[in-house]
Amino acid sequence: MPDFSVLSQLENYLAVTNQRETVIASNMANVDTPGYRTKDIDFQHELARAMAAPEGSSPGVAVRDVKGLLERPDGNNVDIDKESLELSEAQLQYQMGTQLMKDRFHQILTAINGDQ
Amino acid sequence: MGIFNALDISASALSVERERSEVAVSNLANVDTTRTAAGSGPYRRREVVIQNGGNSPFQSVLNGVSDLRAGATPAGGVKLTRVVEDNAEPIRRYDPGHPDADKDGYVSYPAINPAEEMVDLMGSVRAYQLNASAIAASKQMIQQSIDVLKS
Repeated sequence: MPDFSVLSQLENYLAVTNQRETVIASNMANVDTPGYRTKDIDFQHELARAMAAPEGSSPGVAVRDVKGLLERPDGNNVDIDKESLELSEAQLQYQMGTQLMKDRFHQILTAINGDQ
Repeated sequence: MGIFNALDISASALSVERERSEVAVSNLANVDTTRTAAGSGPYRRREVVIQNGGNSPFQSVLNGVSDLRAGATPAGGVKLTRVVEDNAEPIRRYDPGHPDADKDGYVSYPAINPAEEMVDLMGSVRAYQLNASAIAASKQMIQQSIDVLKS
């Protein structure tokens, strides 16, 4: 019986990364909205929470305001460079997750096919 | 929360920024307009009002459940609520031969500063580029998910 728990953990990892990407996209979309505050999720905390949750349930992530950013006169504090950096980070994290998932499927497939 | 959420959010920003640059361009085009179809007086400078589209947790849950209307702003996205007119006083120039001159010989021109409009235009173009690259990133992530299927 192969161990499928790695796959469900990867699924959680991808879900949290995807939600972080959505939050970053939302920050980028609001780069010109007066009074908008930059938002982010605590990745490690949310990942731990998603792992601890019972299988099949997808708990929503808590989005929080980012503190300590320079605010513009219109009350907006989105830093484009920071968001771009975080977007590429989320993208690479997601790529890692999908690659690991592919590898896992490949392993299972190899086990099914034997040495053919 | 779907995989295409981030695309919707970035797309809402793209349309807002496009509209913002259209307004800036229209201000530039009408820099010397002394007569408007709406009535008397010169063209008035226009400005956009950008608002954050429904971001409260309740709103986002509600959107996720029921909001599939076309053109609805996704939670976390942006929307352009309205285009307002600048109330600045028109600039008066002495030109008695002009058909729109008043009885003292002064013509009212719109109070538009081309440099200000150009800076606004550049800002919206940059924001458009930023969101276009965010869309490219989202697309790549979705593609990677699809690639899991073909090994």
